[in-house]
Amino acid sequence: MSSLPVNFDTTKSFLIDTTKCTGCRGCQVACKQWNQLKAEDTTFFSGEGYQNPPLMSEYTFTRVKFKDYQKDGQNEFAFYKEMCMHCNEPACASVCPVGAFVKTAEGPVIYDAGRCIGCRFCMIACPFGVPKYEWSKAFPLVRKCTGCYSRIKEGMQPACATACPTAISYGTRGDMIKEAEKRLKNRPERYHNAIYGKDEAGGTGILYLTQQPLDELGFKPVTKRSLPSYTWQALRLVPGIFLTVGGGLSLLSWFTHRKERLRREELFKNSKLPAETTNVETKEDSP
Amino acid sequence: MTAAARIIIDEIRGYHNFLKFMIGLVVLGALASAVRFVLGLGVTTNLNDVYPWGLWISFDVVTAVPLAAGAFTLGAIVHCFHIKKLEPLVRPAIVTGFLGYSLVSVGLLLDLGQPQRAWHTMVYWNVHSPMFEVSMCIMAYTTVLFLEFLSPVCEKFGYHVPLRVLRWLEMPLVIGAASISTLHQSSLGTFFLIAVDKLHALWYNPLLPLLFWMSAIFTGISIIILEATMVHRFMGQPDESELLEILTRILPWVLGAYLVVKLPATFLLSHGPLFDRPSLLALFLAEIIIGVIVPMFMFMKKACRVDQRMQLRGASLVIAGLVLNRFNVSMFGMEQPDQLIYYPSIIESLVTIGIIAAHVLFFVLLAKYFPIFEHHPETVDYSIPDHARKTAAGDGHTQAAGAGH
Repeated sequence: MSSLPVNFDTTKSFLIDTTKCTGCRGCQVACKQWNQLKAEDTTFFSGEGYQNPPLMSEYTFTRVKFKDYQKDGQNEFAFYKEMCMHCNEPACASVCPVGAFVKTAEGPVIYDAGRCIGCRFCMIACPFGVPKYEWSKAFPLVRKCTGCYSRIKEGMQPACATACPTAISYGTRGDMIKEAEKRLKNRPERYHNAIYGKDEAGGTGILYLTQQPLDELGFKPVTKRSLPSYTWQALRLVPGIFLTVGGGLSLLSWFTHRKERLRREELFKNSKLPAETTNVETKEDSP
Repeated sequence: MTAAARIIIDEIRGYHNFLKFMIGLVVLGALASAVRFVLGLGVTTNLNDVYPWGLWISFDVVTAVPLAAGAFTLGAIVHCFHIKKLEPLVRPAIVTGFLGYSLVSVGLLLDLGQPQRAWHTMVYWNVHSPMFEVSMCIMAYTTVLFLEFLSPVCEKFGYHVPLRVLRWLEMPLVIGAASISTLHQSSLGTFFLIAVDKLHALWYNPLLPLLFWMSAIFTGISIIILEATMVHRFMGQPDESELLEILTRILPWVLGAYLVVKLPATFLLSHGPLFDRPSLLALFLAEIIIGVIVPMFMFMKKACRVDQRMQLRGASLVIAGLVLNRFNVSMFGMEQPDQLIYYPSIIESLVTIGIIAAHVLFFVLLAKYFPIFEHHPETVDYSIPDHARKTAAGDGHTQAAGAGH
């Protein structure tokens, strides 16, 4: 949770305009190439519809989802690129017991494989189902989209954004939101009036524009509050509860043991005189 | 060496068949966990990216921790609330707790992808993580339970100096145990607060940590009743049902308080529809009725409280309800309507059965070789033949040396 940039307008963001996506899956290929990810042996129609591979996995950090629908009696496709959302306040980073996830000042949420203990809490916590596990290995680690942090540090754009011929714009989050709002305003008939990711999970580093309502496209309805705040509202009480319970019980014990203690002191005082026949134990029911 | 081995083998030969069966289950579990490390989690378990947590987390950790809550609950009742009569129950509870937590650690290590890095939690702190908090607490509390467990060991071997130290540490350990347990029992509930859009509204509410803590308390008490009754029936120990009656008088209050928090929290503080999934609703009702309401009304009646068989039945209901509750929160309630149903693989089941068998086995063996039940503090002489203690004359340091039971 270190190096949290407070101003998320300056972090890098993706604006993915799904109305412009042609479903070429160049982004998938570029991602595999840059991250040196193995190809998956897949079959057509193994998932819902035409998409391939069926799901993101340890070998696939991004993929284009195909949604077929009917419009004016015509079969149409909608496409939606699935990837790590690079949340402003990532749930994975907050739940990781060893802090293996970090939201960088540049924007990407990156993962330190050298720290990870493999507890998979990040997978439970992520509202978008992004972190994937190396189920094939005896000592598995987590894999996920890196936001091409290594490229961004060198002033380049992420591999998928570079490869995409039409739909992905990349820049600071403030600029991307402005651009998205401009498009919504200029061509309201083209878009469903919402920017997915602007407020979802407290704001994410990926912003989507769509033509269809979000749920029809398969976007998960996600809380607008930042996820770490849900656990923190309980966890912040921990030191206080520890002291209250500890202190309370100590005080209680002091009172409940008082009678016994007084009696023992009494006995001790008396015993100073004749110290011979005091076979006294600390308990009440001693002989 | 062979002579020693001979003695051990003969000793094991003499065990009851039940114990031999338990040993068999533990060996099977150990083999299954070896297979898990050789072939990997993906092959040996039914876990996948949709179900990253399965039986090992739901039972071995999330359920086993409250099941091991007897030690801290009873410690607080006996020492802090000063109901000294219950003292004979404390030691078996500590043994159960110590075994329980040790096995929780084993289960957790088996479930980790990188168990050899478990120490990372101590180095790379992330105070925002409930998992960090729970692992620190479990390590701390297992240490506390180990220290408490050392008492019978030292008695067995007649180590008087450590006994003195342990005796002196008794109250700090009891209070420490209760505070640490409060933290991690509740933080197990905090785990699931992050799953806002995953855990069903019947269980998701901001008071989940409080509910986890309260249910750990009534489960701890019930486990002590179950364990004392079993030990009386099968291990020839005296009938403690008179002492257990005191515990059954506490139970309805805790169960009632739990309901008073749980029902309003469920209906007022949850977000999302409550009654949209009949199967989950049935599980919720089963958990509440079987595990809380029925035993609460049972133990409100004196006839049930004093009857040993009813004590056992009531306590078993509470425990069954708790197990169901933890599975509801960590497994059933997390399943989305369109997902495939998870069920544990053979390896997963064998490991969990092995862990349960190990608990029973080690408990019986410890009771066999160490003074677990014969603990009557008033008869034990904690003094050592020293002359350093100035208060000696009045404080138990007398000719009674060697009177230890």
